[in-house]
Amino acid sequence: MKIKNGLGHFRFGGLVLATLLATASLAAMPEFELEIRNHLFQPDVLLIPANTKVKLIIYNRDTTPEEFESYELNREKVILGGRKAIVFVGPLPPGEYPFFGEFNPQTALGTIIVQDESRAPE
Amino acid sequence: MLLNSVVIVLREVLEAALLLSVFLASTRFLKLGNRWAIVATLLGVLGAIAYGYLLDPLSGLFDGVGQEICNALLQFATFALIGAVVFLIGRQISSPKGHQPILQALMTAAVALAVTREGAEILIYVSGFWQMTDFFSAVGVGSLIGACIGFSVGVLIYYLLVAQPSERALPVSLVLLLLIAAGMSSQATRLLIQADWISTAGALWNTSAFLSEESLLGQLLYALVGYEASPAAIEVAVHAGSMVVVAALYFVGRSIGSGVVDEVR
Repeated sequence: MKIKNGLGHFRFGGLVLATLLATASLAAMPEFELEIRNHLFQPDVLLIPANTKVKLIIYNRDTTPEEFESYELNREKVILGGRKAIVFVGPLPPGEYPFFGEFNPQTALGTIIVQDESRAPE
Repeated sequence: MLLNSVVIVLREVLEAALLLSVFLASTRFLKLGNRWAIVATLLGVLGAIAYGYLLDPLSGLFDGVGQEICNALLQFATFALIGAVVFLIGRQISSPKGHQPILQALMTAAVALAVTREGAEILIYVSGFWQMTDFFSAVGVGSLIGACIGFSVGVLIYYLLVAQPSERALPVSLVLLLLIAAGMSSQATRLLIQADWISTAGALWNTSAFLSEESLLGQLLYALVGYEASPAAIEVAVHAGSMVVVAALYFVGRSIGSGVVDEVR
C-alpha cells in the first residue's frame, strides 16, 4: 500500500494504514473467534494487531446466556445460549485489555492483548 | 454467585430508579400526582418481558448487531422523551396550564422504556439459572438484594430532592435530568461504535487509574451521567451536545410559555 515508503514514521504510518484499512475496505477487517464453553472463554488470551479495528465473533456453546463485557474495551453484549455475537473492537493502542462474562465472572475471564505489529521480532 | 447477582441487578435497576425518582420529585413540585409512576413501571415490566423474548430474533438483525441498534434506539428515545419533559417543565413554569397530561404521558413513556431495557437484561440473566435449583436460590436472593439497594438509592435521591426548598429542588432536578439524558445518548453512541456504525480513532483520554468504572462510585456515575473511563471523542461530543440541547429545550420552553402569556395579555 501507499504508505509503505513512510518507514521513517512507521507508527504514524501504521495508524494511517489501519484507519485506511478500516474505512476503505471492510472486507479486510481481521476476524477473531472466541468460544464460551462451561462458562470459560476459549481461548482466554487473544492477540490482536494494534491500531486496527477487528471483528470478534463470540460463540456461546453453553445453554445459558452470557454477557461479554469489558470495561477496558468499553464493550458489553448479551449472548444468548447457543448463539453467536459479533463485537467490533478497536482501533486500540498496544496493551492488555481484560474481558469477562458478566453472568459468570468467577470463571469466564479472558484478556485481549493488543500487539504492535510494526515491532519486528528480535 | 450471590454478590455477583447483587451487582448485576443493582446496576440495571439503578438507572431506571434514578430517572423515576427525579421525575417523581419534579412531579411533586409541579403538583402532577404520581399515579403515572405505577403505570410506567407496569408497562416497563411488560416491555421487559417482551424485549427479553424478542432479543434473540432482534440480535440477528443488521448483520448481527441488532442488539446494539435496538438498545441504542431505546436509549435515544429515552433521551428525546426526557428532553421533551424538560421542555414542558419549562412551559409549565411560565404558563402553568394544560401541560399536565402530556407531561405525565412523556414521563410514563421515558420510565417505561428505561425499565424495558434494563429489565430485559435482568430477566435474561435470571433465566439462565432457571433450571439450576441450587444456583437459583443464590441468584434469586442476590437479585432481590440488588433490586432493593437500587430502589433504596432511588428513594434516597427522591427524599433528598423533596427535602430541598422548591426554588432549589427544581433546578437540581433539571440538572440531574440533563445529566441522565446526556448519559443515555452517549451510551447509545457507544453502542453504535460497538456495532461499527460509527468509526472512532480510539479513546480521547483514560481516567481508569483515577476512577475505575468497576468501582462503586464509577458504577453510580455510569448510571447517573454515563461515566466512561476511556471515551471516544464522539461520545464526549454527543454527551456535551446533549446537555446543551436539553438545557436549551428548558429555556426555550420557558420563553415560549411566557411569550404566549404576553400575547394573551
